[in-house]
Amino acid sequence: METPITDYDEEIKNCSCSYCGNNCDDITYLLKNKQIVGVRHACRIGASKIINDQDQRLLNPMIRNEEGILEETSWDEALDLTAKLLYNSTRPVLYGWGETSVEAIKKGIKVAELTGSVIDNQSTICHGSTIQAFQNVGHPVMTLGEVKNRADVIIYVGTNPMDDHPRHLSRYTTFPEGFFRKNGREDRTIITLDPKFTNTAKVSDKWIQFNMNEDYLLFNALRILLKGQKIESDEIAGVPITELEELINIMKNAEYGALFFGLGVSQTLAKQKNVDVLIQLIEDLNRYSKWSMLPMRGFFNVSGFNIALTSETGYPYGVDFARGYPRFMVGETTTIDLLNRREPDFFMAISADPGVQFPGYSIQHLTQIPTIQIDTHWGPYTELSDIVLPSTRVGVETEGTAYRMDSIPLFMKKVIDKPENCHSDEWILNELYQRLEMLKSKEEK
Amino acid sequence: MVVLFVKTINLKMIKSSSIALEFDNVLPELLYDKSLEDVKNTIIFHGNKKEAVSDYFDVNITGKSDIPDDCEIIIDGDLSRVKRIGYCMSSGKIVANGDVDFHVGACMSGGTIIVNGNAESYAGREMTGGVLRIKGNVKEFCGSSYAGDWRGMSGGKIIVEGNAGKQLAEYMVGGEIIVKGNCDILAGVHMAGGLISIDGTINQWVGGQMKKGTIIVNGKLEEMLPTFTLQEIVHNPLICGKYYIGKYELYSGDNGVKGVGSLWLKK
Repeated sequence: METPITDYDEEIKNCSCSYCGNNCDDITYLLKNKQIVGVRHACRIGASKIINDQDQRLLNPMIRNEEGILEETSWDEALDLTAKLLYNSTRPVLYGWGETSVEAIKKGIKVAELTGSVIDNQSTICHGSTIQAFQNVGHPVMTLGEVKNRADVIIYVGTNPMDDHPRHLSRYTTFPEGFFRKNGREDRTIITLDPKFTNTAKVSDKWIQFNMNEDYLLFNALRILLKGQKIESDEIAGVPITELEELINIMKNAEYGALFFGLGVSQTLAKQKNVDVLIQLIEDLNRYSKWSMLPMRGFFNVSGFNIALTSETGYPYGVDFARGYPRFMVGETTTIDLLNRREPDFFMAISADPGVQFPGYSIQHLTQIPTIQIDTHWGPYTELSDIVLPSTRVGVETEGTAYRMDSIPLFMKKVIDKPENCHSDEWILNELYQRLEMLKSKEEK
Repeated sequence: MVVLFVKTINLKMIKSSSIALEFDNVLPELLYDKSLEDVKNTIIFHGNKKEAVSDYFDVNITGKSDIPDDCEIIIDGDLSRVKRIGYCMSSGKIVANGDVDFHVGACMSGGTIIVNGNAESYAGREMTGGVLRIKGNVKEFCGSSYAGDWRGMSGGKIIVEGNAGKQLAEYMVGGEIIVKGNCDILAGVHMAGGLISIDGTINQWVGGQMKKGTIIVNGKLEEMLPTFTLQEIVHNPLICGKYYIGKYELYSGDNGVKGVGSLWLKK
């Protein structure tokens, strides 16, 4: 058993965690000699990310030499070379942004616009289809605070927060006492719809197993049953009609229902259309009761990127500035598709690791073109990168703004000083922008 | 009827690129009265750079025309990285001899485009008129809307002689699409008008969330949505002015969106 940490000299309360879309803002950091020695209230994954900070930390800018080895260099040299490569490229892609601040993202959008780049984030491989559905159909929104205080029926579809967003149940949906849910867990009914018996299904009151890739069919059937119409078949998507009728009854009779869904919905066969029809189901349910829905967003500011980019360009991700104005088409201006088509001739990842997130065929192309990394830690993408620019951690070494999964902006405090030769993403992108502007004005002269 | 084109512009690819070229400036209505030199210097977009047609194509012109309708553009070579062929085209003719990239015939309002090969996604997107004939297969979102919009193809005709990919005619509001081969999932999803005719096998969930319009499946349908109701069985039905030979079941839907679309299935 781990022993509690008692050897600390400073306690900083109400900090935000920089791991998942829960953005838990009740974290306490324990400091000794201005270094983090412990953390309270965070989940195991969040705590591990905070405490194991020094593990594989990038501390100096590096450029890969002719022998293929990353060599430490000065900031000026690394930034000048990055600016030159980016400025001279024809199809640059700036990817990542899920783990940095909105302030840095806004600088990144300026860089993309100046250089005619494609700017994209992790939505392209997760909830991109969800955001498209929200733009097409609408979105019955809620905040996690509302869920905690009001919801008596919680449904998780195609998501497993017990493993991915560990404090989601304990902080917002299942276990906490709410204003109208004084008895916490006892006042709530938890249902999981998932092809797999996940850890979330294990703590739920009811688990409904349905056939993989038949989400679209299932949600359509639920809409029909909600309207009181008959379905001729005995089962839909592997679920007996009687079980679906029972589910619809629970949903209709809820005082306040909250539905959360994950990549099990947005990335299975019908993708955006799964979410389309799920939104319509929630809309239909509002004739009987109050119902809302939220996607389970992954990185702590993946939602912030979508919000910032939509505010600046009208499109949520995969925005192409090649023609000087924003364009967006799924499959055409989205990162994986561009890499699979072998189009990019420059790739910069900002607070993201494509080496972990991308399919092998896409990564193959990254070995053929100039690749830049702006990040805090060594990872598989560092091994692919030609230039490495070490940055700082938002919510720990740099303050900044991030959007929680329910689109609530949260200010993230600075807790400790940054390593001497690291700079914030915002600073790095600002320096890069200034160099690019100089190159542009030189060319215009 | 055989139409004789007075002016023919031949573009033969001499250099290809993995970065797509954008061809929205290469249209009969923009080039019908241009000299050889002007055509060679026409701007095409290559990533974030502007380049000339002659950087990638050999250009030849025969004949003269006074109106765009008399102008034909023939493009030869590996066009799999040439996007937006015939984008916003209103008259004349384009023949692409090879596989073409995204958005062929997107937003076109008139004229004819013939693709002697396969087409990438978004072919005929938001088309309002004209004819787009694809001799090979077409990928996803043929005849659909722009991302985030809910108005797809509203007029004209698309003929696909091969197979069609996912979400054919998404948000279609008018016009006609004929697919002679098979079709992937969700054909006619969110459809609000127009006609789709599919000769081959269609995968799951045709007509999901459709409000109006007509879909005819002459081949086999693998999985039907529970939100459609059988109305009647008709022999040799007359659908949109044309007789279809055989026994057809007429379904209406999508009931989930109070749709009154017609789905005809050949039995």
